[in-house]
Amino acid sequence: MTDEAKPARTQISRSRSFAARLAQYVLLQAVIAALCILALRHPLHEPPSRYLAAAFTLQDRGATRAVTLPAFVPSRSGMTDPADFSTSFDWSKGGEEDAWSVYVPRFTNGIEIVVNGIEILDSRRDPSANRPDRATPEIAVIPVSLLREGPNDLVIRLYVWGPVSGFLDRLFVGPDDTLRPYYDERTLLFVTLPMVFAAWQGILAVILIVLWAARRHEPAYGMLAAAMALGAIQAFLQTTIDEPAHPHLNAALIASGPLESGFVLAFAILFFTRRWPSYAALIFVPGIVLTLIGLFGSPETLRRSFLFLGFPAIAINLLLLALVVAWSDLRKQDVPSLLLGCAVTILMTCFAHDLLSLLQVLPDRRIFFSRLSYSVMLVAIGAGLTWRFARALNRVDGFAAHLVIQLREAEEKLRASFAREQEQARAVALARERTRLMRDLHDGLGGQLVSIVALSERREDTSGIGDAARAALKDLRLVIDSMDDIGGDLMLALGSWRDRVAAQLRPHEITLHWKITPPGLPVHPELRPGHVIQIVRLLDEAVTNAVKHAGAKTITVSIATLRDASGPYGCITVEDDGKGFAPPSSGEGNRTAGRGLRNMQTRAARCGASCEVISGVTGTRVRLTLPHRFPDSEAVTA
Amino acid sequence: MTSSAEEIPAHDISILLVEDDPPTNWRLKDALEKAGFDVEAAMTLAEARASLQKRKPRVLLTDLQLPDGHGVELIRETRARLPDTEIMVISILGDEESVISAITVGATGYILKDAFPTDIAATVRELVAGHSPISASIARFIVRRTQSTAEPPPGPQLNTTKLTPREIDILWGIAKGFSYAEIASHLGMSKQTVPGHIKSIYRKLEVHTRGEAVFEALQQGLIKL
Repeated sequence: MTDEAKPARTQISRSRSFAARLAQYVLLQAVIAALCILALRHPLHEPPSRYLAAAFTLQDRGATRAVTLPAFVPSRSGMTDPADFSTSFDWSKGGEEDAWSVYVPRFTNGIEIVVNGIEILDSRRDPSANRPDRATPEIAVIPVSLLREGPNDLVIRLYVWGPVSGFLDRLFVGPDDTLRPYYDERTLLFVTLPMVFAAWQGILAVILIVLWAARRHEPAYGMLAAAMALGAIQAFLQTTIDEPAHPHLNAALIASGPLESGFVLAFAILFFTRRWPSYAALIFVPGIVLTLIGLFGSPETLRRSFLFLGFPAIAINLLLLALVVAWSDLRKQDVPSLLLGCAVTILMTCFAHDLLSLLQVLPDRRIFFSRLSYSVMLVAIGAGLTWRFARALNRVDGFAAHLVIQLREAEEKLRASFAREQEQARAVALARERTRLMRDLHDGLGGQLVSIVALSERREDTSGIGDAARAALKDLRLVIDSMDDIGGDLMLALGSWRDRVAAQLRPHEITLHWKITPPGLPVHPELRPGHVIQIVRLLDEAVTNAVKHAGAKTITVSIATLRDASGPYGCITVEDDGKGFAPPSSGEGNRTAGRGLRNMQTRAARCGASCEVISGVTGTRVRLTLPHRFPDSEAVTA
Repeated sequence: MTSSAEEIPAHDISILLVEDDPPTNWRLKDALEKAGFDVEAAMTLAEARASLQKRKPRVLLTDLQLPDGHGVELIRETRARLPDTEIMVISILGDEESVISAITVGATGYILKDAFPTDIAATVRELVAGHSPISASIARFIVRRTQSTAEPPPGPQLNTTKLTPREIDILWGIAKGFSYAEIASHLGMSKQTVPGHIKSIYRKLEVHTRGEAVFEALQQGLIKL
């Protein structure tokens, strides 16, 4: 296979899978539509046929003819000329039930029921019965006093208004106890249920408004909120034959179906495609035109234009909605688009059914299911939103869990790197300490041991060996001593040094005066073993000079704290009462003394201290001035 | 390490010297004998034990590293069997490790191997007189152990809880190089009592063996056999 062929192959397999998905989707929707049609064709329950009143005499616009219900009458304007349907029914006293009723399951638009010349019901007084989109049934109890033994007259006056033709379904006259359950069933289905769904729509509207207010960057929720609000408000509006407070506003709201469907379509476009093409605003045009007609035109114009503008607009909106949702489902295959897709199919089927029924194409009982099936869509919207919400929550949870894991990982890494750094720091400190120790041992012990070897090889004179060995031991003790943690208190190091000096001076019969001016020396937390060893060696050098070259009888060590502008500092003085020494190079002893002096200066410099040596015939004084702060041990090793 | 007030004549003081290095052994023996002490020298732990069976020396001077054992064992045995014998450890460096471990089993002093003969004799004499020597570094080691630290410091274990604040003050003074006289005047006490305090400190640092604990318990009637 060549490289160019590969994408082509992928393309083919992708389009193949797309076709498969499309077929699957269409099949599913077809099944749903078929089930829907089956349900719509399923006849509603009817009372026993012995109570059926079917044969009527219709008196309409002067003409009289015999009709069998259900019957249609042409539409007309105005309330003045109803079509009269007359019949008679038999009633005998002492029958099974005394109370009889007239049950009219379906009619458009209004009826008056007249029994024996007396009107017992006017449906136009029932506001919910005046909406042609709602199949409101009516039942009227006939007062017993009105009924006569034998045949009774029944007249139904059918009022028709608007562009829709008049319709009267089969009606029943019989005992109230028998008819009422059928009436109740229809009321539940066509009056109560739409109200429940309207309430549900109102709640959805509130939820969506809150959602939109909290997420202003998602106008889709705003669109849906508008649709829901419009639907809920119009459902609770009633049409009365009396003049309402704002008749035009009322009319505009009742005709809001196209606008509502436009909002739902806009929501779908924004929600599923996340785009808003500029021509999409056209979907609101029919709705706005109808609203304007409702606000400024006559009810008659509104009804007429609703028929020719509103219905096609709703149909087109539904079709577009179905396409958008189908496209989204094929692309994303998520729960909300599938749910909404199925709901739109149901709604479209019902709408087509209603339209055919309205146009009298379909032999039908003129029951409109669009509004009722719209509730399926509401349920789908609610379920879809909840699903989205739950998924968002899961994502947040997942994100939080992911964050926790990442945090833990970062923490572990940090800890590991910290441990590594500590380890490195320890290693560096250890290496530095080792270097220092080696240098100290090399400076002191090493040299002395070499000197012992040299002395022992001379054989004829071994007198120096003891001294050299003692010096080596003394230095070993100094090195070990300097390793101890003295907590920055140089006094502790000098205490040990005093012991060693006292032991050193005893055989030479030199007196050691040790003068401490309390509290001794200041504490230096920055003091390191390297500093201690330099100071002690320097002091050793001073004492050794006094013993070896000055012939002193007394050595005085004074320790005191002095103070200047930058704070306290220590001062250690070593004085002897010997003969002093002349400037270097005047003799063997003085040369070594000179080297010792240079050593002392170097050691003092390494600690940031200064060393001052004054020598005269009455003795020598070495004055060591300690710094305010000891330099870093790096500088000492350097 | 200051005054030496000996009352007992040197020849009445018997010393058992245990040191395995022959030159050091000779050197110490010479130094002590020249000072008039009655010295018996041993090279091994076995010799020392045999000698201790025969006689009760006033002073035991022992090295720690011996060919057939550790000096610490000898010190512990002697301390238990001969409570009146003064015990000193012979140390090369006078370091805490060796001296403190000897103190905890009952030693009350130490001498350095390379000390001058006069110093060696003087130290023994002072110890017999009840003056335990203590160096600044040993004092420093002890007082630093009295300071509480987060984790147990390295080196020999040391229980300093029995020490009184005054004893700790004395140790601080010694560690910082103050003389006994300076310490005494600073703490408002007699200069002569300082060495006694030091011996008391040594005694307090001594770890009582289990055998001793059992013996004490028996004495106090806590355990019945």
